[in-house]
Order: sequence, then structure tokens, then C-alpha cells
Amino acid sequence: MSAYPTGDPLARRRFLTAAALRGATVIGTGVIGATALGAVDADAAFAEPLRALDPAAADSTFVEGRITWIDGGLLEVAGSWGEYARVRVTGATSVWKVRATTAAAIETGDGLYARGVPMPDGTLAADAVWVNIVNLHTTLRGIEKDRLHLAHGSHEIVGHVLADTTSVSYSGAAPTVDLSRLRIGQDAQVLGAWRPSDDSVELVRVAVGPGAGHRR
Amino acid sequence: MACGSTSLWNGEATWFCCGNAWGPCASAGGGACGTCKSSKLHAAWPNASKACWDITRPDLCGEKLPRRGCGSVMKVRHQCSGASVCVTVSDCGPRTRSFCSESTCCDGTCRTNRVIDLTPAAFSAIGSLSSGMLPVVIFE
Repeated sequence: MSAYPTGDPLARRRFLTAAALRGATVIGTGVIGATALGAVDADAAFAEPLRALDPAAADSTFVEGRITWIDGGLLEVAGSWGEYARVRVTGATSVWKVRATTAAAIETGDGLYARGVPMPDGTLAADAVWVNIVNLHTTLRGIEKDRLHLAHGSHEIVGHVLADTTSVSYSGAAPTVDLSRLRIGQDAQVLGAWRPSDDSVELVRVAVGPGAGHRR
Repeated sequence: MACGSTSLWNGEATWFCCGNAWGPCASAGGGACGTCKSSKLHAAWPNASKACWDITRPDLCGEKLPRRGCGSVMKVRHQCSGASVCVTVSDCGPRTRSFCSESTCCDGTCRTNRVIDLTPAAFSAIGSLSSGMLPVVIFE
């Protein structure tokens, strides 16, 4: 099923509105696939042609913060600047947490980025939520079979290699699961998911470049 | 300041966090301009200042980006979908030199080299955060 009817510029808004007003939640249902706007698996996002964004995206609202409470499909979020928001996850919401998943994977204490449509009751009907997602410029400080030690600014981060997920892109080439060409001291862009329990990161994609002066 | 339509540059857009209080970004401050927030439509530009340029060095990847300092306004458009967002320069970045020749493509057209870094709010207005980077055209 397509998450959004197409062909009508206001279709997404109406769909989200209807879903939110009905209180349609997706807890425990199957994986929510890619939408015209939403989160998809990172590799899939590269592989698949990008679809045109719904014009209603220009009206979207963004929420950021920590999830303090979950009540069914309603997420209460404490923003980093003292603000407070309620985010409603509906049947139209795509959910990313390491990979495309369901709202059932969202936990209290998780970090959240959410995009959606403001509702009359003050909630945000989310068309996409990214849970714990980080995209960090780091330097490789140590390499083990199942983890990378990363420096992010002045902070050390442990990055966990996920056997079924982690990929590496060398100099912009297609992602591979082969980590053998990583080198200590390299700059590495890390897309992954923060793990609140131990402040580490689960690695989804690591990109390393050839560095300066290398042009095609 | 208006969000204009004069072509400025094109290349890859990545995203970064600033000023938010969870995860590895908990330590991120307000960026080089002191005003950057992940929840706002902000961006980092590799030539926000001389000091910034010395760090990012886009010229080493063949990109001689013009200087645009804190508060400059740009329109960033996804090159294929046409979705666009107006952003305010609030930080220095990305470190272009570390990823020379990196390309991102859509519909068979690629954009090369990291030329702008968007906050999650800005990036998500034109694409999915899980893609990590997008090919964009920049206007001012």
C-alpha cells in the first residue's frame, strides 16, 4: 500500500490529518516502507531513484529532542532548548532506527528528529521520524573487528559494527561490508544510531575519502 | 535577507547537528557563529571566514567557493526533486578536503564534493536524514 495518495498536492496533509485525528497508530504492525518524503534504509536511499517530494513538504514542521513519554502513538518530546512537543506517529509515518522499522522500536529516552504537519490540537502528525540518528565527522582512532574507536571533536565514541548492517564507502565508491581498508587517522563520516544505554553509536555507514588533493 | 534565485554553487549537501542536547551532539555548541541550532533552518559553509577556509580547504578538491559569512542566506535545492529550503549560514563546514571527489547522484546526474552542511531541520525539508547526503544546487 502506498502510504500517500499521489497526484494531489494536499493529499499527504489530508492523509496525515485523517490518520492523526483517527488516532491511527502502527504499533506492532509491519515495517513501514519508504514514502515520498520519508526515511528509508540508507543503502536503499542511494540505490533507488529519488521521488519528487510532495509540495506540502514546504509546510512541514520539525521537532528535535529526547522522548520523555510514550502513550500509544503519541510521543512526548523534550527539546534541547526547553521547548516541549507532542509527536503523533500514524500509519503514514516512516520510522528509522538503525534501519526502517516500526514505531514499536521507539523507546523512552531515545533522541528524536521528526518532520510532519502541525495539528489543531498542538501535536505534530509526523510523516517521518528518525530515532537516535547521528551523522558525525570523526577521526578513526582504533579499529577492531566489531567496533571502531572514533574521535568526534574532543570526545571519544565507540562505534559498534553491525554484522547485517554496517557498510563502508571508500572514496565515494559503492558501500561494502569490507572494513579492512580502514586506517587509523582517517577522517570518517559516520551515519549511525546513538545508543543511549552506553552512549555509543551503532554504525550504519562509514564514509572515508582520499583526503585533500585527490581529484578525478 | 531574501532567499534568492541567483545561482551560487552546486555539489553535495551533508547534515550535522549543532546546539542539541542528546547523543554525541550533546557537546555541540552554537557553531562558529554561535547561533546554530539543529532544529532551525541553518547551514555550515566552508568559506564562512578565512579561519574557516583554512580548516575546510575546498580548494584542495577544486572548489573555489566564495566567502559567505554568518547570517548569509542561501536557497538549497535538491537537484532532482526540486524541493528547496532557505537556510542561514550559522557555522563553518563541511570539511570538504577530507572527502575530495565524493559524488552523490540522482537521475543519472552527479554532484561532486561536499560544499554545504545542513542542520537536520533543513536537510529533512528536502530529503531523508538516513541518506546522509544529497546532490544540491545552491542559490542566493
